Amino acid sequence: MNDPSMAIRIKDLGITFSSRRTGYVDALRGVSLELEKGATIALVGESGSGKTTLLRAILGLVRPNMGKIILLGKDMEAPSPQELVSLRRKCGYIPQDPYGCLPPTLNVLQAVTEPFFIVNGRKELHQGKEKAKILLKEVGLNDRTLWNSRVRTSLSGGQRQRVSIARALVLDPMILMADEPTSMQDASTRGEIIGILKRHVHRGMALVFVTHDLFLARASAERIMVLYKGLPCEEGPSGRIIDDPLHPYTRSLLAASPRLGKKISSGITGKTTDPPVPEGCPFQPLCPIATEECRKAPYLRQVKGRKVACWKIRE
Amino acid sequence: MDLNVTYRTDSRNVPAVRKASLKIPKGRIIALVGESGSGKSTLLMAIARLLPPGTEMEGSIKVDQRELSRMGEKELSEYRWKKIALILQGSMNCLTPVLRIGQQIEEVLEFHLELKGASLRKRSGELLLESGLDPSYAMRFPHEISGGQKQRAAIAMALACDPPFLLADEPTTALDVITQSEIISMLEGTVRSRNMGMLLVTHDIALASSVGDELVVMKEGRIVEKGEPRDIISSPSHPHTSELIGALQKVEGGMPDE
Repeated sequence: MNDPSMAIRIKDLGITFSSRRTGYVDALRGVSLELEKGATIALVGESGSGKTTLLRAILGLVRPNMGKIILLGKDMEAPSPQELVSLRRKCGYIPQDPYGCLPPTLNVLQAVTEPFFIVNGRKELHQGKEKAKILLKEVGLNDRTLWNSRVRTSLSGGQRQRVSIARALVLDPMILMADEPTSMQDASTRGEIIGILKRHVHRGMALVFVTHDLFLARASAERIMVLYKGLPCEEGPSGRIIDDPLHPYTRSLLAASPRLGKKISSGITGKTTDPPVPEGCPFQPLCPIATEECRKAPYLRQVKGRKVACWKIRE
Repeated sequence: MDLNVTYRTDSRNVPAVRKASLKIPKGRIIALVGESGSGKSTLLMAIARLLPPGTEMEGSIKVDQRELSRMGEKELSEYRWKKIALILQGSMNCLTPVLRIGQQIEEVLEFHLELKGASLRKRSGELLLESGLDPSYAMRFPHEISGGQKQRAAIAMALACDPPFLLADEPTTALDVITQSEIISMLEGTVRSRNMGMLLVTHDIALASSVGDELVVMKEGRIVEKGEPRDIISSPSHPHTSELIGALQKVEGGMPDE
């Protein structure tokens, strides 16, 4: 359990939310994941698939109902406050919403330096500022007048997102949780940001990258886990999943992704209401190949060099 | 035709659109792409006559032979519902939180088309269905439905007065790819079946090239390229178009390690 090369180890994680209209909702069901230091994984799925919940659970921001999370060798079941602080200092987090996550009263340079200052104190402030400046230049915010302007009043969504990325990297985290970190960027900036993240991966940082875009997932991570309604449906090497997707849900995700000059498929059309999540495989109401068999819950099995949770897919 | 738009700030004037000319024929989808700050949204907002006060605008915008720049506020409000439909990235957040979806659509129908009673209910149900929502969603409040469903409700409202033109600015950018593909195909179907003209503004050249009948590329306020998407993708004539395509291919093809 205490393998020092392991960054994240998750076993049979289950998280249930309760809501007034629908009763209980399983946000995550039986998710297991292992990520070594210097390794990368992308979590992919549509809105409501559980990607963000998984990320927040790893950081201890959501309490699981079932299962185990081991973060850098520490069990997250009941960490002491000191342990939690020291773990979180080693984990960078880029939240999805760059409007909600940056301190509104600080200027850009202060916002990026702040985590460094909190951890290392006033004595190292100069060093922190220099580091922040390097990171800001890396993410393409070179303008010095911008560094001195307030985050709240003078930055676009895309710029805020880049400040948030620099802020998450200023402590050289061992693990980075990135929740749609490039959603507001132009294609060219997107590539640059992935390049920056990869440089940190080369120094040994583990990366968990959340996105709904399969191609972006492949560009940023060596492994992909596809989630649907809280259930992992396909997991394996990124190239294999994109070149030869097996799970019907992965296939419809891929068909819905816009490609240059190709018509996008209309995806799963014809549904005008949210289908209730059935017993067994959650994808069966929309699945083109579902049969009786799918009323039994599928589990991840090894097929063609990756894991798939679908009864219909066989070696 | 030859539209110029200049934003005024305290310190300087910023030209946002320079000499842009564009035609949106009925029954055609014009996809306008560019990076942040290229002026694509400004151009769309100029057509909706929704630029902030103090913005300078030169040139002419004609809709059905009528010159837009000479219209008064009253005429414009009529024009914005009955001649053009407007869908923005944030449309889904513009629904009134305290009214049911159905009430909000019926409000538009009542005010602009003076529909009443049963015909009002019937029309709002049809609009919901056309936008891909079951008519039972009329009874829901915005907070009870997902972002994609709210965007569909906003589209139902935009289409309420049967306008011949549709202006859509990043209508699916905040949504996941599956929801995006469903909403885009729904819009495509609606535009074809109602024979509407549509201007789709997006930063995503892949999406633009797969949906547009014509692809228009903007950079620094200028239209740098326009034509058949297939021709442009296979042989772009402007270096900026090649850059956009290259940047996308880098991500699509899986980036090599540095």
